[in-house]
Amino acid sequence: MTPAAPRRAVVLGGNRIPFARSDSAYKKASNQDMLTAALDGLVERFGLAGERLGDVVAGAVLKHSRDFNLTRECVLGSRLAPETPAYDIQQACGTGLEAAILVANKIALGQIEAGVAGGVDTTSDAPLALNEDLRSILLDANREKSVQGRLRQLLRVRPQQLAPAIPRNEEPRTGLSMGEHQARTAAEWGITREAQDELAMRSHQNLAAAYERGFQDDLVTPYLGLERDQNLRPDSSIEKLAKLKPVFGGADGTMTAGNSTPLSDGAAVALLASEEWAKQRGLTPLATFVDAETAAVDYVNGREGLLMAPAYAVPRLLERNGLTLQDFDLYEIHEAFASQVLSTLAAWEDPVFCTQRLGRSEPLGAIDRSKLNVNGSSLAAGHPFAATGGRIVAALAKALHERGGGRGLISICAAGGQGVVAILEA
Amino acid sequence: MSTLTTYARAALPLVPGASLLPFVAGRGKQMPALERRVDGVSVDPAHLADYARVCGFTLRDTLPATYLHMPAFPLHMQLMTDGKFPFPAVGLVHLRNRITVHRPARVSEVFDVVVRTTPIEPHPKGRTFAIVSEARVDGELVWEERSTMLRRGGGSGEAASGSAPLTDGQTRGAPVTWTLPGDLGRRYGSVSGDRNPIHMHALTARAFGFKQAIAHGMWTKARALAALEPLPDAYTVDVEFKKPIFLPGRVTFAADDGRFVVRSAKNPDITHLEGTVTP
Amino acid sequence: MDRYTQLVNTPIGKTVAKQVGLPKPVPLKRHTPGAPVVDGRVLLGGAPGGRLAQSLAQVLADAGAEVSTPLRPDLRAAAAEAGLDAAPWTPQASVDHRYAALVFDATGITESAQLDELHAFFHPTIRKVARCGRAIVLGTPPESARKPAEAVAQRALEGFTRAIGKEIGRGATVQLVYVEPGAEDQLAGTVRFFLSPRSAFVSAQVVRIGKEGGKVPSDFDWERPLAGKVALVTGASRGIGAAIASTLARDGAHVVGLDVPALEEDLKAVAAGIGGSALALDITDADAPRAIASYLRREHRGVDVVVHNAGITRDRTLGRMDADRWNAVIAVNLSSIERITDALIEGGRKAVLNEGGRIVCVSSISGIAGNAGQTNYATSKAGVIGIVNAYAPELARRGATINAVAPGFIETQMTAKVPLAIREAGRRMSSLWQGGLPVDVAEAIAWFASPATGGVNGNVVRVCGQSLLGA
Repeated sequence: MTPAAPRRAVVLGGNRIPFARSDSAYKKASNQDMLTAALDGLVERFGLAGERLGDVVAGAVLKHSRDFNLTRECVLGSRLAPETPAYDIQQACGTGLEAAILVANKIALGQIEAGVAGGVDTTSDAPLALNEDLRSILLDANREKSVQGRLRQLLRVRPQQLAPAIPRNEEPRTGLSMGEHQARTAAEWGITREAQDELAMRSHQNLAAAYERGFQDDLVTPYLGLERDQNLRPDSSIEKLAKLKPVFGGADGTMTAGNSTPLSDGAAVALLASEEWAKQRGLTPLATFVDAETAAVDYVNGREGLLMAPAYAVPRLLERNGLTLQDFDLYEIHEAFASQVLSTLAAWEDPVFCTQRLGRSEPLGAIDRSKLNVNGSSLAAGHPFAATGGRIVAALAKALHERGGGRGLISICAAGGQGVVAILEA
Repeated sequence: MSTLTTYARAALPLVPGASLLPFVAGRGKQMPALERRVDGVSVDPAHLADYARVCGFTLRDTLPATYLHMPAFPLHMQLMTDGKFPFPAVGLVHLRNRITVHRPARVSEVFDVVVRTTPIEPHPKGRTFAIVSEARVDGELVWEERSTMLRRGGGSGEAASGSAPLTDGQTRGAPVTWTLPGDLGRRYGSVSGDRNPIHMHALTARAFGFKQAIAHGMWTKARALAALEPLPDAYTVDVEFKKPIFLPGRVTFAADDGRFVVRSAKNPDITHLEGTVTP
Repeated sequence: MDRYTQLVNTPIGKTVAKQVGLPKPVPLKRHTPGAPVVDGRVLLGGAPGGRLAQSLAQVLADAGAEVSTPLRPDLRAAAAEAGLDAAPWTPQASVDHRYAALVFDATGITESAQLDELHAFFHPTIRKVARCGRAIVLGTPPESARKPAEAVAQRALEGFTRAIGKEIGRGATVQLVYVEPGAEDQLAGTVRFFLSPRSAFVSAQVVRIGKEGGKVPSDFDWERPLAGKVALVTGASRGIGAAIASTLARDGAHVVGLDVPALEEDLKAVAAGIGGSALALDITDADAPRAIASYLRREHRGVDVVVHNAGITRDRTLGRMDADRWNAVIAVNLSSIERITDALIEGGRKAVLNEGGRIVCVSSISGIAGNAGQTNYATSKAGVIGIVNAYAPELARRGATINAVAPGFIETQMTAKVPLAIREAGRRMSSLWQGGLPVDVAEAIAWFASPATGGVNGNVVRVCGQSLLGA
């Protein structure tokens, strides 16, 4: 039997809860709470109550061990039919978009008709692990058969071992935080403080405008008292941003709390389906999920910056689709840090990077900045790691549909030196 | 009024002669029409989160049906310690609780809560009355609750209308087991504000004739409701509290087609709670 | 390594030297066969409008160097064209590594105001140069400038590089290379030499590359540049001469060692050790030039590289110096070079010196700066510089070159006999705070001798660690 020829997977829309700053509005909400809330909003928006979907794929970067089946638990707590299968994935900040790729591929192959992709993260209700020594002692005690044996093991516990291990935002192989890694890349690419602040300001202004004109109305469902992203500063200005002290890269650093995304909490999901499925339900496809690519770089040996993988993934994706970097009407480059976006753009304009690292004959060139993150991005909205992909897929699909068609590029950098990118078309 | 002084006042009618004092309840035989209200109740998401956590709810933007019982509860206590209230509050048994959600109540909404008493009715084991609580948003009734209370003794033998068994105690759903920790009463008590000594500790419970602390009935109801998620936008959840659950303890929960039951894990013949959810 | 250098590089010595403020010579890295040209990252920069970026990028790429460049389109494009995976560099970049070399194309500087490009490039980087690192500035010869303002600005580079040489420390060196317009493809041999540990004891020198040299073939064997060549080295039996012989042999040449009959045993031993030949005769003999020429024509069908290394000293202050001392030094150190050179280049295309030949003379810092007690010697060695100047145009016409090295304080048997105080002064009075080794002189000669440096003609390069004498 020959498999069916691939067909189009379309994005029908999405839903997210407003993103909150860490230890704030959602400080007591768990990943399960937030992802369920995002799912429930989606179910309500698209009338999916009681529907059995093909798959729900989502994940969280910071996850409790008890949440091993997080997405499935959320499906069970949602109004989707309990017969809807679900699975968790984790690819750091690429989780949400990678989930969309998986769902879109199954749709394209005819394996499912409709699915939900997304992600959630909390930096407030973060999992604390036992001190590694304590964990070892407890496991030893558990293996003992007698009470005496257990006591003997437990007597090994020392007070300092009672302090929990707090999850750290650092690369295990380099011991450097993501911000410190990016500070190096930013310095390498000569990204100035002014350029970063400018990008940050535009992100806030664009997101604020998007809320003002109602663009977010059918993308966001209020949660726990938040109606808009808590990090959004509509009155953000270059002057205010310029006052902030550098937080990465030492005293001479260019990266501040204003041009780096804050730790945040939130969840986002997107609904993808086959065209037939959408038609049957009278749902309007916003955009086609055309193609995607994932890349990784060797940041461990310092050969490439930690967050530079999208700079490799995009050219491969363009090549496969016979496109140039300029063939897009909208660009969604996830703003993990303003300098990450600017470093990526600088690399694409650099003859050396493009010939030597990418093996191209010439640079990809510059993009029209007025097409970049037109409805704001992570600097303004916040960035609950795994939730970002779902936010961007839904927002870009809607923006493309809204402008009556066009092509959009998504680029998301991720920890571990990875990058996930995709093309949507309406 | 702190919970302790509320409970002290609630217990006062038990002291011989105290019911003669004008501010102490327990003198009358008829239920007067008593009403208390509190307007402008807003929800602290952190408190909601604590509540959701202890009861097992997913923290949503809509309130669990049992949540608005909490702002109503201090009003219940005020009614039962009113000088005109015919019974001592301590010793009243929470027999049945029915909550109707007319539409989802959101975290960000502001509620006006009113509670009132209903007339006394006969019951095989004594006399019953109910406290009706209502929550409104801008005048729209979104939530109501009817807590039926039993005053033991002087039973008439005839069953009051509407007190037929909710279910036949049979469900087809496979039961799941819940393990209830010893501090559950204290944990729910600190979230709900209901620090009735019978829930707090074995020692305080013994003073009231229980061998151990017992779980809050409203916790058991909430926990059962959480297990039934996802729930429709509008529905009624009605439960009967049959036998107290001693803490710590293990119980089973089974649900099927809108009916549910909580039984003792050790002895399935002991039913703690039965209930229904109807749209 | 001399004793003082050894001492201050022991843990205790380091501490003591630091406490009392003694100079701390860094043990210099020297070339070992097979080692990369440059070990570490090279930062390639330039003033806008320069004409050497492409060529420099290619040299660095061919040398297998790791390179960074400023994020300027012309430099990035040049690096890309050369196939260099050059890391971007910006002044605000906080690099945690040190640069093995800073290379700066200053040919774009056409007026003095643009000299600020030097500051912009070297200010943030000069303290990031690695131990035994390199700084190379490339400019346009002032005499080739199109306008006076350009000549002025380009001439100013000399002061800049000489001053950096005195600041840079840690065994690092700095050079200025003037590249005549049209000689852009002649850089490889010289830039490689100055980047590599071969130039360990050469610092603050000014070298001119002319356009006559001819392109270096792309398959050039940089490990054995003199393969198939015949080299004559006078005074080859010991000291610097023996080092020159073995260095040229290492580079692939068949070396004909020459020395006086009295030293024939030593000479034969040297020749045997490097698979070369020995020619024992006195270069001051009247028929020596003819004998040498006919030997080379007979045995080797000519000669490709001639190194006039033989030299003697007969020191006395002039008032105490007899005529014999004077005459002997002039005869060996100067006149014989002229005579032998004439014999080897006579006959036009049929000359003993083959086409593309290389003549390298050994001058001395005494010939530049003068030295008490060495009027004869200084005269002869200054005369050697005169030979270079005088013969260069003629040799250029033959596609050949003539250059000279001028050693400073080199650790040899000869300098070992100098009284301690004077010896120590000689050693320490340089930017590298130490004496050089015979191989340092030999490496500079090998650079002049290379087929890759045809554009380097008429230069006198000091191998002196930027000695304070005559600077």
